[in-house]
Amino acid sequence: MYRLATVEEFLSFRRQIVEEPEPDRPCLVVCAGTGGQASGANDILRIIKRYSLEHNLHEQVSLRVTGCQGFCEQDPFILVEPGKHLYPRLSMDDVPRIIESALKGQVVEELLYRESEYHECQHCQDDIPFFKKQTRTILGKNEQIDPIRIFDYTRRGGYHALGKVLLNINPEWIVEEVKQSGLRGRGGAGFPTGVKWESAQAAGNGSGQKYIVCNADEGDPGAYMDRSLLEGNPHAVLEGMLIAAIAISATKGFIYVRSEYPLAIKHALIAIRQARELGLMGKNILNTGLDFDIEIVRGAGAFVCGEETALIRSIEGHMGEPRQRPPYPVQKGLWGRPTCINNVETLSNIPVIISKGADEYAKVGVPGNSGTKIFSLVGKIKNTGLVEVPMGTTIREIIYDIGGGSIGKVPIKAVQTGGPSGGCIPAEKFDLSIDYDSLAEAGSIMGSGGMIVMDEESCMVDIAKYYMNFLRDESCGKCYTCRKGTQRMYEILEDISEGRGTLEQLDLLEELAHVVADTTMCGLGQTASNPVLSTLRYFREEYIEHIVDGRCRAGVCKDLVGAPCQSTCPIGTEAWRYVAHIARGEYEDAYKAIREANPFPSICARVCDHKCEERCRLGQTGTRPVAIRALKRFITDKIDPSIYQPTKALEKKTDKVAVIGAGPAGLTASHYLSLLGYQVTIFEADSKPGGMMFSCIPAYRLPREVLTKEIDAILDENVTLKCNHELGKDVTIEKLFADGFKAVFVAVGAQKGRRLRLEGEESEGVFPSIEFLKAYNINGEQLAKGRVGVVGGGNSAVDAARTALRQKDVQSVTLLYRRTREEMPAFSEEIDAAGEEAIKFETLVMPIRILTDKGRLTGIECIRNKLGEIDYSGRRKPVPIPNSEFILPLDTLVVAISEQPDVDSISPSGEPELKIEDDGTLYADKYHLSCSRPGVFAGGDVVTGPNTVVDAIAAGKKAAVMIDRYIRGEELRQPERAKVPQNYVEPLEISEEELSQLRRAEPPHIPIEQRTSSFVEVEMALPEDDAKCEAMRCLRCDLEFTQPKEKELTEQENETASTVEHST
Amino acid sequence: MTTDEIPAIVERHLDDQGGLISILEEVQAKFGYLPADALTIVAETTKRPLVDIYGVATFYRAFSLTPRGEHLVSVCVGTACHVRGAPRVAAEFERQLDVKPGETTPDRKFTLETVNCLGACALGPVVVVDGHYFSHVNASKVREIIEKTREGLDKIEIKTDRRIFPVEVSCSRCNHSLMDPEHPIDGFPSVKITQSFGQQHGWLRLSSLYGSYNIEEEYKTPYDTVLHLFCPHCHTELIGGSDCPECGAQMVPLILRGGGTVQICPRRGCKGHILDVG
Repeated sequence: MYRLATVEEFLSFRRQIVEEPEPDRPCLVVCAGTGGQASGANDILRIIKRYSLEHNLHEQVSLRVTGCQGFCEQDPFILVEPGKHLYPRLSMDDVPRIIESALKGQVVEELLYRESEYHECQHCQDDIPFFKKQTRTILGKNEQIDPIRIFDYTRRGGYHALGKVLLNINPEWIVEEVKQSGLRGRGGAGFPTGVKWESAQAAGNGSGQKYIVCNADEGDPGAYMDRSLLEGNPHAVLEGMLIAAIAISATKGFIYVRSEYPLAIKHALIAIRQARELGLMGKNILNTGLDFDIEIVRGAGAFVCGEETALIRSIEGHMGEPRQRPPYPVQKGLWGRPTCINNVETLSNIPVIISKGADEYAKVGVPGNSGTKIFSLVGKIKNTGLVEVPMGTTIREIIYDIGGGSIGKVPIKAVQTGGPSGGCIPAEKFDLSIDYDSLAEAGSIMGSGGMIVMDEESCMVDIAKYYMNFLRDESCGKCYTCRKGTQRMYEILEDISEGRGTLEQLDLLEELAHVVADTTMCGLGQTASNPVLSTLRYFREEYIEHIVDGRCRAGVCKDLVGAPCQSTCPIGTEAWRYVAHIARGEYEDAYKAIREANPFPSICARVCDHKCEERCRLGQTGTRPVAIRALKRFITDKIDPSIYQPTKALEKKTDKVAVIGAGPAGLTASHYLSLLGYQVTIFEADSKPGGMMFSCIPAYRLPREVLTKEIDAILDENVTLKCNHELGKDVTIEKLFADGFKAVFVAVGAQKGRRLRLEGEESEGVFPSIEFLKAYNINGEQLAKGRVGVVGGGNSAVDAARTALRQKDVQSVTLLYRRTREEMPAFSEEIDAAGEEAIKFETLVMPIRILTDKGRLTGIECIRNKLGEIDYSGRRKPVPIPNSEFILPLDTLVVAISEQPDVDSISPSGEPELKIEDDGTLYADKYHLSCSRPGVFAGGDVVTGPNTVVDAIAAGKKAAVMIDRYIRGEELRQPERAKVPQNYVEPLEISEEELSQLRRAEPPHIPIEQRTSSFVEVEMALPEDDAKCEAMRCLRCDLEFTQPKEKELTEQENETASTVEHST
Repeated sequence: MTTDEIPAIVERHLDDQGGLISILEEVQAKFGYLPADALTIVAETTKRPLVDIYGVATFYRAFSLTPRGEHLVSVCVGTACHVRGAPRVAAEFERQLDVKPGETTPDRKFTLETVNCLGACALGPVVVVDGHYFSHVNASKVREIIEKTREGLDKIEIKTDRRIFPVEVSCSRCNHSLMDPEHPIDGFPSVKITQSFGQQHGWLRLSSLYGSYNIEEEYKTPYDTVLHLFCPHCHTELIGGSDCPECGAQMVPLILRGGGTVQICPRRGCKGHILDVG
């Protein structure tokens, strides 16, 4: 490389490069940063090169290998310029097609980026939601530059700022400009960079050795923007350091970089070498009399070295222990000389400020927080990656608009910012503007920009414990309170997460947290309490649940969770236990395990929403979960229920309890109250018991004889069922108490269909789904005729659609939903089954007008939607597309857009006031189900809104316990122990090879022809062999808790051995 | 390697102001860990108290006082990987290798460690084995990773791997083809150039497979030396390339048939190269 001798030569060299015309041909851009390479970018590059050589494309297509561009979730990808067509997650096979179409100026549509399979493909990167809301001033350069080519950097505006500074060397002007820009340190603390430079400039009486240090010790787990900048655009960092050196008259610089970042080190070394060779670094730079050179120091792995005084000790070759400040490093730093330490991202901003001018720079962001900030958006988020936004953007915009919300259907709970020094911000606060000051106010910090998204499956106690474990490990040990305090806090958190915690410990934890924050010397200790304090502030309830209820709702804390299937089940079914028995062929034992927890095993075997499968650990290891519900079905079909007899109280009690509603909640409560000896009377409004199980769930999912059999088994000598007794009409709560009932359990469900609120909804042919389903299920009335439309996307809508299809005068059934099929809340297997049965799906449509003729429905006018921004539920909001209205002729319309409790019946005038929530549900305490009037308890859909059968059973079980406690005058909420597996079921010997061959067994269905014309049950039980194989797939999470310890085993073996000896 | 070489390492870093960490890094690179004797010798030669050396050696995570295994398995337990299930991955490695993090298997094959963040958060949970990244790891992938490592992660099938392909090159001065069909390497015509090292001149044949580093040479040249390479036709020295991204030596540019250039590093043993196709 030619060594430039003067500033003039440098300027003309720059001009030449910048003015050189770019070749007019497509360019393939491949991200080959650490993330890209780890995902296979190098393979993609090889194939591009090979194809280009073999087809002689040298003159027709260009290739640019860049550092990390930020959209790491989509690696490896190719971006084709000039159209900016983004082809994500490529395989080597895709490459030739992309090159060929690029040559023709075309695109390969099926390979282009799309948000999901239900979305249109995006032609230009700028239209992709992830990029749309970003302002990529700093990060955007990575896309344009091959980091190992200094000319690339120069061509894209690089070293322009240096030229400007060198042309008229004026350190005061530089400092003033940086001050004016309002740039604050991007490393975390947000100290104004210009002010730091000013002090550094003045330090040492303006003369003598001074140092610039670039802090690239990005130790905050979860943050990687500094790595990406150093890796993808190292010259920008060098240029920033050069300008800083000129500003404060430093002659030597260091880049302190983590050794975990080999590619960043490599690229920084190349850049330094190139800058030296060009004459931009070294002695007498471009004949200006300025000396400056940079050395790379590799951090040897200590988080505390990110703290500036510790970093100094480390560069000096000592243990990285911080020291007291002041004196600040700008006065006394490396080897006692003034040292200005800036973060990578801060330094990368400097060339922009100098080039554009401070005022222009300060236009971005909000007052006091100017410019942009890069965040690494990671954890439970759809679009993981690096995002750059103006300061002052809200967390919501980053997480939902850019990040695309949660990965699956689990809602986002919180975001952790600032790493181990930061805190957790709950989802309710996502409208918070991101700037140094707002985050501090909310109990967190900006930190270096890590944003770890957590969903309902992340436990906040576990997160606090995680950070405390990190901090106690990384505490250098110099300050007693940090060394011991982090250790003690960790131990307390460990106690809590393992079920030994007490409420007193919680107070101690809080006190300790404050002490550590107040009495330690460096930033590590002073902020070490933030993860604890912020989670206590926003998620105290979770801590209390761990301590009092022995429960980790996220399913993370192993000792409280035990087997996830069991702990997730609302009624605590030991799924692992019956699965283990099935594998061993012990079917009766399996049945007992099911029945012990559940009075409705055959019903749940058919209609349960199987939360156990969602949390099954097998499903989280890259394969599909155990088909637990299908196994339950196998057992309940096979075993005669009479083998299990529940234990009854020996003595009959005289106390009477009233249960209103004979749905799953009411029946379950009655059953367990009866077992305790209480006299229970059930009042049911309909003519038959079963509630929604009877009136709404169609017989093809739940045959009537199965339902009746299990309900009949509940109605024993202690239980009296009175049908056709409606609350508010035939019975009132006040009257029940007057009649001597000690307690009342209200479980009337949610029986009122929500309305579309369109004119004509009262017309003939329009039905709320609940009315439509009840008419058929209870009275056999077939209300559907001709062309049927069903509005809604929940289970009720799918049930209505499939029921309508089976009615005799029906021609066609169309399901109308306002979002996409992906967002439908109905069970996916039900949606699939509906599809198989030729039910038409019209998704992304919304009814706007009901068309009638002489009071009879003739059709519905709809408007098409597109998906807009993400709303509070974490789903994309449907937005109507103007002028997309269309008419669908209909003879029947079923409205299935959710139900709500009929609160008028609960609190008609004259009744004692029961508190009703704003959403129209009945208030009942979360922990003990008591309503606002003593003696009244409530559970099931009336409290939760439309919900599942198993949740209603759970409420019924809980109600029985609470009513018993209430009548006996006991405290309602009592500490509970974690329900972890206890019964040891010996595992079968299965080799890993055998296991790896097993695939999830799916229950067979009856043929489609039979389905559409009858109400015969669709799903059949698994054949025995399939069931056994399926059961063998279980990972047996229980064994960790139940398996006899090695010592016990040896003892057992010894016993056996001695028995053998005796017998011989 | 014996401890005799340690004074030389210390010597090299005496001028560095903060040399101790670099010295220990280099010693560890040679031994794979920091043996007790080595620390004593470093203390003697640097004239610093042994406690200082020990302090630094135990303060930083990068140093190990116990021997490491042939393969280093690093399981990232950074926050992003943690929330995506890294603890279960780490537990599975512990179970299968039957060692705790920080320990080495008795056969010295594997050392297991957990690291706080590798900065590849989007790919979490991440595991790095000897510099090879494995992304979106879950417990059921652990066995495969261990098996692949045992088989050799760098192993490539030259014949079947389509990332390996032949190139044809010519002299960047006289444009004469450098291909030698008479002496194939890896089953393809080799690239023949002249090398000179000290007083010796002789031919050097390189595999023309992009991705293969097989060579044959007339005279054995020592590892790590930068060779002078010449065109066997016009005898011009092949120079003028950019710096090697791996070692910094000036690379040798060759013209590619099909367009573009390939630059190779003339340092014996260095795998640095740049293939520019447009």
